[in-house]
Amino acid sequence: MAPVVSVEALRKRYRRRDPWAVDGVTFALEPGQAFGLLGPNGSGKTSVVKMIAGLLRPDGGAITLFGSKPGDPAARAQLGFAPEDPDFPKFLRAREVLDYFASLLGLDEDDRKRRIPETLAFAGLDQEKRQVRQFSKGMKQRLGIAQAILGRPKLLILDEPTADLDPLGRRDVRALIESLKDSGVAVLLNSHLLSEVELVCDTVAILAKGHVLKEGTMAEVVPEGRTLEDVFVELVQASAPPKQDNLPSFITDKENQ
Amino acid sequence: MRGTLAVARYTLLDLSRRRILLVFFIIGALGIALIGTALKLFSSTFTGGAFSGPSGTTPDPANVNRFLDLMFVTDLVGALGLFALLIAFGIGMTAIYHDLESGAAVAIFSKPVSRLAFTGGKVSAAAAALIVIVGLLSLEAMLFGLLFGGGLEQTLAIEAVAQVANALTLMLIVLALSTWMNNIVAAIVAFIYNAAGGVVVALHNSLASSVNFGDSAILKDGINVLYWLVPHQLTSDAPRELVKAEIQLFAVPGQPGPDLNQALAAVPGPSGANDIIWWAFVVLVMATLVYIAVRRRQV
Repeated sequence: MAPVVSVEALRKRYRRRDPWAVDGVTFALEPGQAFGLLGPNGSGKTSVVKMIAGLLRPDGGAITLFGSKPGDPAARAQLGFAPEDPDFPKFLRAREVLDYFASLLGLDEDDRKRRIPETLAFAGLDQEKRQVRQFSKGMKQRLGIAQAILGRPKLLILDEPTADLDPLGRRDVRALIESLKDSGVAVLLNSHLLSEVELVCDTVAILAKGHVLKEGTMAEVVPEGRTLEDVFVELVQASAPPKQDNLPSFITDKENQ
Repeated sequence: MRGTLAVARYTLLDLSRRRILLVFFIIGALGIALIGTALKLFSSTFTGGAFSGPSGTTPDPANVNRFLDLMFVTDLVGALGLFALLIAFGIGMTAIYHDLESGAAVAIFSKPVSRLAFTGGKVSAAAAALIVIVGLLSLEAMLFGLLFGGGLEQTLAIEAVAQVANALTLMLIVLALSTWMNNIVAAIVAFIYNAAGGVVVALHNSLASSVNFGDSAILKDGINVLYWLVPHQLTSDAPRELVKAEIQLFAVPGQPGPDLNQALAAVPGPSGANDIIWWAFVVLVMATLVYIAVRRRQV
């Protein structure tokens, strides 16, 4: 089966003097597969997904998205991307944002009439009349996921999709991922919530400092009797110098208590 | 084309809800109404023979009326120009900058829309918003012209078009700069560039009239070079007509008046075909710069 997206020796750095934000990342995703990209803050996860979405230019390596380059609009038509900390034109309402994106996706009138109300209802924004500038972070995140699924993508990239969501919202996102997987959609999930990744992803890659530390199916990465969190902490700590106990002294000092 | 239309449509909707533009529009509309009314009152007070020039001379009433008509048009156009510039800054600082800086561009650019279509939609929407707002203010100015007695609609219309064109150039400069830098810094840089452009054009006009520069070839060449590095403000013949009318109005019969050429040297003359072609070129260059900046932008 041809991969939906393949990433080969991907490299990126933001300034010449900076270290590589992404250095030699390689992986591929097939239809119906849920792939978890894990890593501590600054490990390069968001840079990788932004390069796949054509938002950042790689400095090395190659990306193939539906057999084309990520800059190809035809390839991006099959992609849904829910960014971390999403934002939208702030004077528009949720329905207008979705109508705007439906226009960019080229959805016809019938599709819009059906999909926009249903997507708004899924995101819990169907009764929302305020403009985006008055939205909370959680509401923006739900709208971010709504716009990502509006085009019925074949690849859905979710970058920290549940960071600002309440437990009900998280459950909805898990159900969404399961449902999309069942219908053959590939899902690329960036998340710090390892328990969530463990629940929905078939394969994972653990990144640190732009390198892939370990990659494989969940069974390959997480041995019997251990959790994904155990493996993650062990790998990330092994890749970094031992961390000192940096708790402020006024917290640990018993005299101040 | 589909992407351009969608971006333009929703940018217009977004702009139409920005309070700053509404405030500028209301202040502009009130300002024009106030100037129109004040000039109407002024003219009814002074056209009954109470208008006198230097040395107690009484000017020809036809000249007084002509002068007042032109002053009315010039003041209205001045007010229109000022508000057009404010609106140009308001639109230029927000139309693209907010999308790029807020992260809205991340969701937009991940959709199947090219950066060219996005830029085309943004620039078209910004230009349309500017034309509609300044057009409405121009219509109001023309209505006041009719109230004043009419007859100068064509002059006012030509000046209004020139003001829209000038505001459009400035807006594109702000738009182009705001894709590279902070929008407030962009507005300041555009303001300085625009003001410097006005000075260079005025100096160039003086040079063309062969006054004030003596024989300094270096200075003349320098101003000629600078002249083709700045946008040229488009104007009608109204400003020069006003100066001429003023000179005629206050001329003392039997005595030589001031040198008309010298008096008109610093006043911009009506724009010619070269100025219009240059304006179109500057607009094209600025729109291209906006596109290059948007295309290079990593979000």
